[in-house]
Amino acid sequence: MSFLRIHAQPGRATSWMLSWFLFAAGITAYFYVSAERHRDNPDDRVMPTIAQMVQGFQDAALKPAEEEEVQDDAAAQGWFSRVRSSMLWKDTTATSRRFLISVALLFPAVMIGLHMAMFPYIGVFFLRFFQFFDKIVALSLLPIIFIAFGIDELSKIMLIVIGVTPTIILDTFNLSKSVPREQIVKAFTLGAGDFAITYRIIFKQIFPRVLNSIRLNLKAVMLFLFAGEMIASTDGLAYRIALLRRHMGMDTIIPYVLWVALLLFLVDLGMNLLNRKLHPWFQEI
Amino acid sequence: MIGFSQHFARWLLRNSRKTEGPAARAFLCLCGLALLLQPTAVGQQKPSFTVGWSVYVGWDPYYYMAKSGILRKWADKYGINIRVQRFDYAPSLDAFVAKNIDACAMTNMEALDMPAAAGIDTTAILVGDYSNGNDAVITRQGLGLAQIPGKQVLLVEKTVSQYLFERAMAINGLGDQIRRVKYINTSDSDIASAFLTDASKPAVVTWKPMVSQILKAKDVKMVFNSSQIPGEILDLLVVRTEVLNRPDGSGQKFAKAIAGAWYEMMSQMTAPAAASDKVLSGIAEASQDSLASYKEQLATTHMFYTPQSGVQMASAPDLKKIMDLVRQFCFTHGLLGDKTKSPDDVGIQFPDGSTLGKADRVRFRFNIDYMKLAAQGGL
Repeated sequence: MSFLRIHAQPGRATSWMLSWFLFAAGITAYFYVSAERHRDNPDDRVMPTIAQMVQGFQDAALKPAEEEEVQDDAAAQGWFSRVRSSMLWKDTTATSRRFLISVALLFPAVMIGLHMAMFPYIGVFFLRFFQFFDKIVALSLLPIIFIAFGIDELSKIMLIVIGVTPTIILDTFNLSKSVPREQIVKAFTLGAGDFAITYRIIFKQIFPRVLNSIRLNLKAVMLFLFAGEMIASTDGLAYRIALLRRHMGMDTIIPYVLWVALLLFLVDLGMNLLNRKLHPWFQEI
Repeated sequence: MIGFSQHFARWLLRNSRKTEGPAARAFLCLCGLALLLQPTAVGQQKPSFTVGWSVYVGWDPYYYMAKSGILRKWADKYGINIRVQRFDYAPSLDAFVAKNIDACAMTNMEALDMPAAAGIDTTAILVGDYSNGNDAVITRQGLGLAQIPGKQVLLVEKTVSQYLFERAMAINGLGDQIRRVKYINTSDSDIASAFLTDASKPAVVTWKPMVSQILKAKDVKMVFNSSQIPGEILDLLVVRTEVLNRPDGSGQKFAKAIAGAWYEMMSQMTAPAAASDKVLSGIAEASQDSLASYKEQLATTHMFYTPQSGVQMASAPDLKKIMDLVRQFCFTHGLLGDKTKSPDDVGIQFPDGSTLGKADRVRFRFNIDYMKLAAQGGL
């Protein structure tokens, strides 16, 4: 039983197999049940077969988004322009735009948290409010958000901002506070000013951890974004999923969900690489 | 009687105090609490059926039926258990298609494009009502239907709301303008506040109680409602045909019990004012609504209070015309699925045995047997 010990060292092939085992098991189970259901009911839409999902994804990626806008020369167009006029492209760009704006808006939140931790007056001013706001379930305040921001783009982005920024602010606050006090004292004795300490000592140290915290919150951002798009919109990945649900279009929904997972994974990977590039000294990743 | 899980939960909680290590103690404690809070399973040998419903004036009676004991009385008479469960509308359809529930309250359009189009053979056994003004197109600033093309309309896309809107356009000779309308898919739970608070959106299509709420605002008016297309938005109780045809006959018993309970409920609703008010406020409770508001909704709902009227609606030749309009709408909007090449691929069978679409691909049936039995007092 040496393989269950702390000092066990799985071989290359073994680790490869073990790490893919649950994927294989999940996929096999899905297609087994799917095949069973299709034997029982050939029109089943709840668990589409792989051929149906491939077809659904191809249609989404290569056919024009709206049935009204079918162009007669669609076949004559190049592959790339067909993709660019497709439903998938349109939805992905709409969702990505909202997503990137929201993530960009998280960076001012980092600044707020940092200053709260460094300057006691700013700290007492904001801390209690954000601790309270962090516990508010933003989704239940939708009517107020509508009044303040309309029902177009702004309200979706604000939903994310209200939902996720308090977490980021409080996390940055805690990270900044956890830097040993001695460092600040030392910097003062070496002649540093308030801002030099804030930005060049504290911020520099915590930034890689803050980036990790934002990475962990990407999923929350996506959840709020999906909620917003399902409530009212004319495009976006979640809009399409909400519409397809109306007639159980699981053959397109499942590829869409996998596509969203892939995009999120890539964003996460990108931020991770950026973090390593920017902070080669940071070892905790 | 305290079940095994309760004993186990108490044991866990007791032991959690003695366990070493705070994490292990907290874990045991949480497990114990989770088990304690779990509903205890009741042993059951009787065949059991679940009916799903969602908040709507014509379906709220299911809540009262279960609460008042009418349903239990009828279920006991046929020796079965019937459970009634509230859902949001879309999840109730999902649950029905996934075969998690046996029967579900839905409209004729959803019965066709959700279960029937997904290959679940579906039978409508009760025709409850039709929307007679519950669904409406509302605009701001005195806008007429003819001015809507080119503007934005809030609605839940691919539902009866869109059906109503496109029928309104077609009836008013604006059918070719429909493609110029910009739909904003808006969730029904937020549509009223979204329309009321955002004055830049000129039109909305939705149903009651949201309609009543919106109409209270200034400067809005109703330009079309479902009373102008009577009988086209039918509210049904549908059952999976395989459940109805179970060899042990329990499905038949279920259909009889629910029909019996439903028409007893209906007769209570139409009792003289004093008696029915009590029942109606009990029903209104289903949606946390007031008696006055529920009555206002009933006024724009054509209830089929008697089994005779339900039978008459379901066997009228008009039903075929209506279902043809509905299936053409579903087909042109892709609601029957991308692979469905013709609306005929999802066949509909009527009580007289005639079919719309392919006779060998019947997926949606209207069955008047149980309403007839109720009419003859044979339940």
